[in-house]
Amino acid sequence: MPRSRSTSATSSSPRQRKPAGSGTARKQPTRAADAAPAPAGAAAKGANGLRVRMYRIGFGDFFLLSVPTGSGASHILIDCGVHAKDLGSMRAAVTQMAKDCGNRLALVIMTHRHADHISGFGSCADIFAQIEVERVWMPWFENPDNPKAAAFQASLVAMAGQLGRQFQMRLAAGPDPASEQLLSMAENITGGLGVAGIAANQKALNVLHGGFKGSQPNHDYYKAGDPPTLPPDLAAAGLTADILGPPIDDALIGQMTNKNQQYLAGATESSDQPERSKPFANAFRGKRDDYGDKAFAPYGFDKMLRMLEGSQPDILAAQAQAADKTLNNQSLVVLFCFGGKNLLFAGDAQWGNWENFLYGGAYGTPGHTQLTARAQDILGKIDFYKVGHHGSANATPKDAVKAMRLGCVGMCSTQEHAYNEVPRAPLLEALRQRMNDQLARSDQIAAGTDAPANPDAGPLPKAFSAPAHQLFIDYDF
Amino acid sequence: MPHRQRFTCDDVTPSGAAPAAHQEVSDDIFSTAEIPFPSERPLNVYAFDPSLGKFVGNQMVTHVRYESLEPGPIGERFAVLDYDGSQKTFYKPVNLDDPKLLMTNGLPPSEADPRFHQQMVYAVASETLQRFEFALGRRVRWRTRLDHSHPPAPRGASRRLNLFPHAMCEANAFYSPDAHGILFGYFKASRTNPGRNLPGQTVFTCLSHDIIVHETTHAIVDGIREHFMEPTNVDVAAFHEAFADLAALFLHFSHKEVLVDTLQKTGGKLFEFKLKGDAELAQGATPAIQSQLSTENPLIVLATQFGEAAGRQSSLRSALMTPATSDGAKEIATKIEPHERGSILVAAVFDAYFTVYGRRTFDLFRIFRAGGGNVDKSDLPAPLANRLAMEASRTAEEFFTICARALDYCPPVDITFGDFLRALLTAHLDYTPDDPDHIRDALMQAFRLRGIVADNAISFSEDALFWPKVVRGSLRVPGLIFGDPNGLTKEEKDHNGDVLRAFAVKHADKLGFDKKAGEIAAPSFHPMFSTGKDGKLYVSMVVELVQTMRVPFGHGVPGTFPLRNGVTLLIAQDPPEHDKRPDPRVRFVIPKLYQPEREERVRNFYIGSGRATTTSPAGHDGDKRFRLDFALLHAGV
Ligand SMILES: [Zn+2]
Repeated sequence: MPRSRSTSATSSSPRQRKPAGSGTARKQPTRAADAAPAPAGAAAKGANGLRVRMYRIGFGDFFLLSVPTGSGASHILIDCGVHAKDLGSMRAAVTQMAKDCGNRLALVIMTHRHADHISGFGSCADIFAQIEVERVWMPWFENPDNPKAAAFQASLVAMAGQLGRQFQMRLAAGPDPASEQLLSMAENITGGLGVAGIAANQKALNVLHGGFKGSQPNHDYYKAGDPPTLPPDLAAAGLTADILGPPIDDALIGQMTNKNQQYLAGATESSDQPERSKPFANAFRGKRDDYGDKAFAPYGFDKMLRMLEGSQPDILAAQAQAADKTLNNQSLVVLFCFGGKNLLFAGDAQWGNWENFLYGGAYGTPGHTQLTARAQDILGKIDFYKVGHHGSANATPKDAVKAMRLGCVGMCSTQEHAYNEVPRAPLLEALRQRMNDQLARSDQIAAGTDAPANPDAGPLPKAFSAPAHQLFIDYDF
Repeated sequence: MPHRQRFTCDDVTPSGAAPAAHQEVSDDIFSTAEIPFPSERPLNVYAFDPSLGKFVGNQMVTHVRYESLEPGPIGERFAVLDYDGSQKTFYKPVNLDDPKLLMTNGLPPSEADPRFHQQMVYAVASETLQRFEFALGRRVRWRTRLDHSHPPAPRGASRRLNLFPHAMCEANAFYSPDAHGILFGYFKASRTNPGRNLPGQTVFTCLSHDIIVHETTHAIVDGIREHFMEPTNVDVAAFHEAFADLAALFLHFSHKEVLVDTLQKTGGKLFEFKLKGDAELAQGATPAIQSQLSTENPLIVLATQFGEAAGRQSSLRSALMTPATSDGAKEIATKIEPHERGSILVAAVFDAYFTVYGRRTFDLFRIFRAGGGNVDKSDLPAPLANRLAMEASRTAEEFFTICARALDYCPPVDITFGDFLRALLTAHLDYTPDDPDHIRDALMQAFRLRGIVADNAISFSEDALFWPKVVRGSLRVPGLIFGDPNGLTKEEKDHNGDVLRAFAVKHADKLGFDKKAGEIAAPSFHPMFSTGKDGKLYVSMVVELVQTMRVPFGHGVPGTFPLRNGVTLLIAQDPPEHDKRPDPRVRFVIPKLYQPEREERVRNFYIGSGRATTTSPAGHDGDKRFRLDFALLHAGV
């Protein structure tokens, strides 16, 4: 596909650390991302000009990977969403991104359909409608031609919707931070209801499936091990990619779909009036005195009732957490290699996704207790790691941290107080050590006057650059 | 089952109904006008979960040990408390000692009368407990606290477990140590999206025989083993589910009346194998029979109905239908959801069950065919169906006992399927050295075909799979008190605890402990009394010795987890020789000891299953997060 050179400039030249945003900067070809006239043997030139840009929007992922090619920089968008702790900077950031890529993306990767990874596609649909996209990669769960996957996603969303209504009912009874967080978790799956009653995530997905400019992109739905198809200019520039996750397990998917549907079948009842769900005729109603004293010994009647009540866990909360984890584990995990540099984008993959890559199967089953040689090899050569799931403890297994090359670079898009224990300070500390302090957090820069940099996050490490009054942090190779 | 009476370990004297006032003392010590207490109380229960649909004659009679009961029923071992937490009300308790009910095996089965529900949970839970106590040769105590870091429960709590037949309006049922009982839920199937149930139908989990046994089994296992509920590896949760399902299924199938009808209607086709030519067997081959061989196998159909109506998962169905081939064996490396994984274990034991049943009934079929009978088309004659049902039920009862006894031969912590296989084989060899129907071989083959292997076993042979025996007399525990089948006094228990802890320290090296790694506790010791096949009475004790280390998670994960090393000891008290009682002798040391790889595995497993993070703000929820939560497990989350 021919492409227009004139709009491919990036807004700032990271090497020059020059404040950008001026009209001239946009027109001016910069040396950074689109410098190298890349012949097929780009690797010989190293990764010069390769850049990762992380936008600050709140709790959500929004990354732009710019690759120098023979004809200037070519851009890969990896997720674009914010959910909890929305700083209100999404629109500005997407506008910026459109400028950065000159309204042309070679590749869009949606790691998974959580709102905090896709909401921008919906809320800025008008901007995306002006952007040409060549290919879109999604996890295999999104393949509309796979009925099992489609049924699974549908049941997951339906369940999340049901759970969300339950948590709303709880909140209607009074404020409760725990329920708010659970509601947020459920709405991360649906995106919450938009004005037209269409779940916001569905709107974002519609954009991803066909809301870009001009002729729509090719869609690829990948699982671990699939050989991915790169747009030709990226391939020609020497970029390669491996898909490390998500794994595929048809049987498990079938079972979980069942489980969700079973849950839905049961859940409808909770909205019933207590009168209707009375199991027995009134004649059978009894009272405490129908029992002798021996009945409640040795705990006593009151303690007994408290024990009975206290023994029932919050199943809805557990369901919401399980659904959240399930969706995170759908994350497309991509390893890019360019000019000898290896970049790992793990989405929000949690243990269930990682373990397949790390141990070659379910951890603890026969033959799957040690890191595979391949995992060791890959992690041992890693140069850049997009920290999984905004820095939560379960999204970067310690075995992965231990195996990562010392001195690699990391970026973590996060925002405090969106969820309990995210980001997880000890994990970030362990990563920071592994990375010789080359770990950037999105909240190390301000997003306008309303959202200053988070002082607890510390200063942005020297390895990165962030022009003043901009919504992004860059890492240049 | 008369042999179950030959030994009772907990003769509950009906104290409330003690013999009437002692009249004037008679000189005749051989005569009395007193009416003897019955030994059993027959009670009606549903044979099949009524929500599965209409069954003709869906009723059977369970015989539980007689005890006098208060309304509830409230007995010695169970208190049925019918408080509905959703409706915030009690339901009237049944008085099973009401003369009208004593005449009629209790109330007739009814979904509409909660008092029948109470009767059913009482009957089935009691039956389960009694079968376990018979198999184990001792009385089972209920767990009253999570571990020794928790304050002890009030006196007497360990005697009785609470059963809440309608605890909540939820499609769930679970054993909860927090409630010191079992909570059975009920729910109304949706009118619009009822799943497998009838629209709007109310489903009571407490009316499923299998669910009651399943939950009671969880409680029994928890009572026996302090650290068994710690999910330290991928098998633990699956093991608990499988073990409880096995108990439920074998107990169910040991009721002949459940089987006769089915056998008769289906021509006795318990599996295809029997319908094959005689030649195959005549060659002396002992092919392993796989349960999945016929989808028509009525026992499989019965088994797979387990809990389905009550919202439980259908993984059992798929496991039993999955061929035990090299391909099927792959599942052990891929299935990790506890119910799915557990189903592989259930299927393995069931394969062995069918193999043994096949061997035992083969001659009946030959005789039947020799007399011109045809099993392929017609209904089986009632006497044959009856005989087949008897064999199926006898074999089920035997398998129940085999599984129950295996518990005592498992290591005290970190159980795996492989450990359970070794425990099954060793326990069976120990109790029944002669094995005419090749039960051990059947088990071994079945496990092998399902891909279940034992760690550290050099080969798949009996010798390699039995736990090694301690050389006779090389390890003794002087001073241990065995007491009698009704239990030990507190003083005797304290004494035994001291003896065992001292023993553990003294012989730490021999047992495989690193003394420096921490104190070695003796969380349990149970004397057992059993009659061997040779008619001799065997007195022995099963002991757990457990050492707990607090190990940091490390690598960016704060906090510590308990890493436990332990051994199970089986100790025999031999009869006196030359007027001297020999010191108790250790027969087996069943180990799960410290290894760096094991530490790493447990650590990873806790982190991977999200147990590394504390949810309680104070950071101190004890170690509860390192225990299985059956409420969540059974709800499928
Ligand atoms: Zn269970």
